[in-house]
Amino acid sequence: MHVASLYASAIASGALKDVGLTIVSSLIALLLGIAGALARLYGGSVIGGLVYWYVELIRGLPAILQLFIIFFGLTQFGIDLSPVAASVLWLVAYGTGYAVEIFRAGIMEVPTGQREAADALGLSSLKILQKIIVPQAWVGMLPNLTSFLVLQLKNTTLLYLVGYADIMYQARLGADATEQPGILYLMAALAYLVIALVIAVAGLRMERRAALYR
Amino acid sequence: MIALWRQYLPQFFQGVGVTLELTALSLLVALLFGFLLALARLSGWRGLVLGATVYTEVIRAIPVLVLLFLAYYSLAQAGIKLSGMTAAVVTLGGFYATLYGEIFRGAILGVDRGQSEAALALGMNRRTVMRKIVLPQAFFTILPPATNQLSNLIKDTSLVFTVGVTDLMFQAYAASSATFQPMDMLLLAGIVYFVFYLVLSKFLTRWELNVQRRRG
Repeated sequence: MHVASLYASAIASGALKDVGLTIVSSLIALLLGIAGALARLYGGSVIGGLVYWYVELIRGLPAILQLFIIFFGLTQFGIDLSPVAASVLWLVAYGTGYAVEIFRAGIMEVPTGQREAADALGLSSLKILQKIIVPQAWVGMLPNLTSFLVLQLKNTTLLYLVGYADIMYQARLGADATEQPGILYLMAALAYLVIALVIAVAGLRMERRAALYR
Repeated sequence: MIALWRQYLPQFFQGVGVTLELTALSLLVALLFGFLLALARLSGWRGLVLGATVYTEVIRAIPVLVLLFLAYYSLAQAGIKLSGMTAAVVTLGGFYATLYGEIFRGAILGVDRGQSEAALALGMNRRTVMRKIVLPQAFFTILPPATNQLSNLIKDTSLVFTVGVTDLMFQAYAASSATFQPMDMLLLAGIVYFVFYLVLSKFLTRWELNVQRRRG
C-alpha cells in the first residue's frame, strides 16, 4: 500500500498525458477521417483508391510496427522525431485510418432514397450532405465513435516504448524502482479501466440524447 | 536493402514461426474459453452469468499490453513465474476469449428460437439441441467475424516482444538495431504481417461471406 500511495501521483500524471494525447490526436484524426471518407466515396477511382489502400495499410499492420516505423524507421532518412511528435503523428495516422471507415459506413447507412429525395427537391450536393446525410449518419455513428476513443486510449499504452511518459511509462519506472510490479501494473490497469468507463458512460449519454431526435 | 534482407531472412523466418505458434496456441485458448464464456452467459444461472459478464467487460476494457505485464511481471511477484511465451498465450487467449465469447453468444442467439423449441418439443435434451440444432446453424454466422478477429490476434502477437518472446517483431527490432537500417528491417516485417492480413481479412472473409450468401 505504501508503494501505491507513493506512485499514485506519477500514474495520475501519466493518465493526464494519455488523456490529453488521446483527445488531441482523436480530434485531428476525426477531421481527417471525414475528409478521407468523402474522398473515398466521392473522390473518383484514383483518390478513392489511394484512401482505400491507406486504410488497409493502417488496419493491416500491427500498431507497434507503425509506431516504430515512424519513430525508428524515419531516422534512416535523417528524420529524428521527439517522443511526443512521433506519438502524435502515429496516433493521428492510425486514428485517421479507422475514422475513415467509421464515417464511410455512417454515410452509407443513410438510405439512398433520402439523398435522391433531397436531390429531386433541388438541394445542392453540399446542402444534401450538411442537412440530410450528416444529421442522420451522426446518430448511427455514435457507438463507433465511442469505441474509437477507447481504441485510441488503449493505443497510448504503446507510447512508453518510444519514451512518452504515459501511464505505462510511470508504472514501469515504479515497478523497476520498487521491484513491486504487482501493485503498479494493477494501478495502471485500474487507471485505464476508469478512463475507459468514463468514455463509455459519456458515449451512452450522448447516444441517448441523439436518439431523441430520431 | 535486398542484400540485407537476404542476410536476415533466416532470423525473420524463425520469428514468423514463433508468431504463428503463438497465434495458434492463443487462438485455441481463446476459442475454448470463449465458448465457455458464451455458454456461461447464456446458461441463465445468475452466478455464472454475472461472473462471465464481469470478466468480459473488465478484460475487454484493459489494454492488452497492460494485461501482458500483469501476467508476466505481477504474477511473478505473487510467486507464479510464467515464461514469456506462456504469459503471452494466457494473455492473448484470455483477452480474445472475451471477443470470441461475444461472437459465439451473438451467433447462438441469432439462431431462430423456433428451431430449439421445435427440437425440445421433439424430445431432444438441451445438450443435443445445442449440438445438433443450434451450433451447426450458428457456425456460418461465426466464421467471418471469427476470421476477422484472428487477423487482429496476429497483429497483437507483436506486443509480446516486450516480454522477450522472439517473434517476428522481436527479430525486426533486433535487426533494426544491429544494421542501423531500421526502415528496411521494419518494412520487411511489415510485408509479412500485411500478407497475413490480406489473406485472412480480404480473401478468406470474403469467401466465407460468399458461402454464407449461397446457403441463403
